[in-house]
Amino acid sequence: MGGVHRVSNRSQTADSIRMISLVRNLAHWFDDRTGLGQLVREALYEPIPGGARWRYVWGSTLVLTFFTQVVTGFFLWMNYSPSTQTAWESVYYIQHELTGGWLLRGIHHYTAQAMVILMIVHLVQVVVDGAYRAPRELNFVLGILLMLVVLGLALTGYLLPWDQKGYWATKVGTELSSQAPMVGTAMKKLAVGGADYGHATLQRFFALHAGLLPGLLILLLVPHMALFRRHGLHVRDTKRRADAMFWPDQVLKDSVAALMVLAAVLALTVASGGAELSAPADPASPYAAARPETYFLFLFQFLKWFPGESEVWGAIVIPTMLLGMLLLMPWIGRTRVGHLLNVLMLFVLLGGAGLLTAQALHDDYFATWHTRDEAPETEPAREKFLQRMEASEQFIQAQHQAEVDALRVIELAGSPGRIPATGALTLVYDDPLLQGPKLFRRHCASCHNYQDLEDPDAQTNIVNRAPTGSNLFGVGSRAWVAGLLDPEQVAGPHYFGYPQSPFLDEDGMVAWVRENIGDVPEEERAELAKKIPRVVAALSAESHLPRQSVLDREDAHLIAEGLNMITEEMGCTDCHKFHDVDYDGGAPDLTGYMSREWLLEFLRNPSADRFYGEENDRMPQFAAHADSRMNQLDEKSLQLIVDWLRGKWYEGDASR
Amino acid sequence: MSILLILSKQKLFKANVRQDPLISNLRAAMTETNHSESIPVAGNRRSFVAKMVAMVTGGIALLVPLVSGLVVFLNPLWRKAKSPKIRVALLSQVPADGVPRYFPVRADRNDAWNRYSQQRIGAVYLLREPGQQERGQPPVAFAAKCPHAGCFIGHTPGSEVFQCPCHTSAFHLDGTRVHGDAEVSPRDMDRLPVELKPIGSMLPQGIASTETPSLEKDHVDPTSEHPSNNNPVRVNSVGVGVEEDVEIWVEYIEFQTGHKQQIRSV
Repeated sequence: MGGVHRVSNRSQTADSIRMISLVRNLAHWFDDRTGLGQLVREALYEPIPGGARWRYVWGSTLVLTFFTQVVTGFFLWMNYSPSTQTAWESVYYIQHELTGGWLLRGIHHYTAQAMVILMIVHLVQVVVDGAYRAPRELNFVLGILLMLVVLGLALTGYLLPWDQKGYWATKVGTELSSQAPMVGTAMKKLAVGGADYGHATLQRFFALHAGLLPGLLILLLVPHMALFRRHGLHVRDTKRRADAMFWPDQVLKDSVAALMVLAAVLALTVASGGAELSAPADPASPYAAARPETYFLFLFQFLKWFPGESEVWGAIVIPTMLLGMLLLMPWIGRTRVGHLLNVLMLFVLLGGAGLLTAQALHDDYFATWHTRDEAPETEPAREKFLQRMEASEQFIQAQHQAEVDALRVIELAGSPGRIPATGALTLVYDDPLLQGPKLFRRHCASCHNYQDLEDPDAQTNIVNRAPTGSNLFGVGSRAWVAGLLDPEQVAGPHYFGYPQSPFLDEDGMVAWVRENIGDVPEEERAELAKKIPRVVAALSAESHLPRQSVLDREDAHLIAEGLNMITEEMGCTDCHKFHDVDYDGGAPDLTGYMSREWLLEFLRNPSADRFYGEENDRMPQFAAHADSRMNQLDEKSLQLIVDWLRGKWYEGDASR
Repeated sequence: MSILLILSKQKLFKANVRQDPLISNLRAAMTETNHSESIPVAGNRRSFVAKMVAMVTGGIALLVPLVSGLVVFLNPLWRKAKSPKIRVALLSQVPADGVPRYFPVRADRNDAWNRYSQQRIGAVYLLREPGQQERGQPPVAFAAKCPHAGCFIGHTPGSEVFQCPCHTSAFHLDGTRVHGDAEVSPRDMDRLPVELKPIGSMLPQGIASTETPSLEKDHVDPTSEHPSNNNPVRVNSVGVGVEEDVEIWVEYIEFQTGHKQQIRSV
């Protein structure tokens, strides 16, 4: 340090020498006052008996993944807002609008998965190597506690996006916690933050996830690492190779391993397009595919083995006992036999968990690997098989529906209307495309079909195998009206050809179509073939379907001709009222046929004179009363059904 | 930069290098008694009192913030779950055909600082057996929540069973478990108390509606043959009204899951 050259002229060399000596002095001063240098030297220049090895990297990768979670978690935190109207919404914003948000969230999500896997590897290695033996017992206990904290982080993190998946899965989880003896109900209430899921639940989970649990993790991790250093690496074979230093030999291997983990995480993130965000949590919309994260699936499946009140054994008692066994491993493993017992137990445990996970997945996706034809001939095996099929089909259907719903809400959230302050659920409840099918299933599908005949197996179809009403897919469109005027189709199951149909009467619509369109003399055929498309276009134009507006404008002259034909040549107005031509033939008014107003009024009261009047034999009056409390459907539901049937909903890029 | 250079000349940061700062500090700490030789040691009693006072004052200083936080944290324990009586449907919406029908349960709900009017808080299945209408019996109401782990029990139209999508519990349409005690669910589906009330009972209980629907009131659609309108029924339990004038009210009780008995969530 002593000999600093004094140069008379202020040359650059002198300056830089002074700089170097300043930095050096600063470092020494800092070291002197803190003792940090010694600590770093101790940390880095730890000799590793037998040399650096790849098998020592697991603990370091765990520390690094935790660091990743802290960093990504912090930035997610800056953009996350925990309340029932903002949690899903802010996660949506991170995922779909903030630049790089999907990557950030993806890294956080998949690193969490990686952490669980790395933790298992770490645990297996420690147990198999017997690294928990004296003097390392306490460090093993610390490790198990750390594992619990990490699992706690995973559990609490799953709820935070407040989507259907996390909401329903966590709800089952808290419901199970209420079965713990004595303190169960209190525990559930404290976790939920009240009697019901709501703001408080999110805030509590978030405070645990971003505050208490990471703090606890650091509090446990510091002594875990300190004890590890105190006892040194657990080396099985010291004479394998020459000793090496932790820095840089082992650090190099650790860094490479950490990079591999990161590469895997990034690959998963990019391949999947980021972590999933399902539809916003809807407390009233049952989600039949609620499942916990894959690594908790074995616990979920485990419960199926415990009938009745023994559930508490599967949910709480046995898992707690197993945890107790884990914690006792260092003392059980003091003898050779004990150690073998430990190894055996761990593999039984992991193998069991693996089997249960496989079984859970097999149950859920049963229908993708089997068909109903494979059902055994004999009972009760047959019934059991069919039940499994049905359960699995429902699971897959629910999962598919949730994905479709999620895409739709995300599309709506990105629309110029944005998300209202009341939250994304408002978007869900107000959207004809999301609500229409649900309302149709509940109120219409017991009689009507909604089936695209050009794509009979489409997922959007709602099929009734024995309909007693017409197929309402594309109602009012040209294709639909054309079918109505087709002698073949009108008597088919998709129009009026169902059992006991009043339209099959002698003076009914079916007879009229057969007589006037089907049974015309050969020489009139060509003429009629010209007329029908015009009549179809004109009648269909009455509906003012949003999707047909361009077509209707283009075909204005065709429609004008068709309008004349309806009142003159075709004789529709012999039975139907049509605009100014008023004839009370008892058939529905064709003015504005299948328009929004027409359909709404029709659903309110199909028995009104304007529609079927006294001829109505089966169609319920959904809102015939002035007193709304007496009506089966409220105005909003009616509008949603009608708008959905007419294909009127917001269309973004995705649905186009 | 030049200030730094000047500072370096002043040797402000010159290290006062010792053998091992950390170890020597530790050593110093451990041999504390040697240092205190020059200072007279206080009497035992005084040191005992000092220790006690130190522990009490320090304890209070640490505990007060913790306890004040815990009190707020435990707040949910003092909140009680309510079992509101809720109008679920019109009697005419539940035809007496033995088919369960799904109805969402809507109620005003408080969530911390928000109040939601008419939010869906759950769901029930309502079911009337053929013939129940003649006897004027109200429908049966099943809570859609599974008694096992609280999942939403589903029913596919046309199916003879209710099925829970989580752990495959199955129930007959009368709510009993298909496999009895071998079923994962510890008890049959929860039946909820049902009341039939004439329309206009939206007033709170105890304040009787003065307007009683008249027996002579014209039934709106006598010609309709829709099952729900088929046989206008006089409902004895409320004494008045045809089906369209009668509302189904359900006491929406949340029961704890996982127990053989129905235990109300409190």
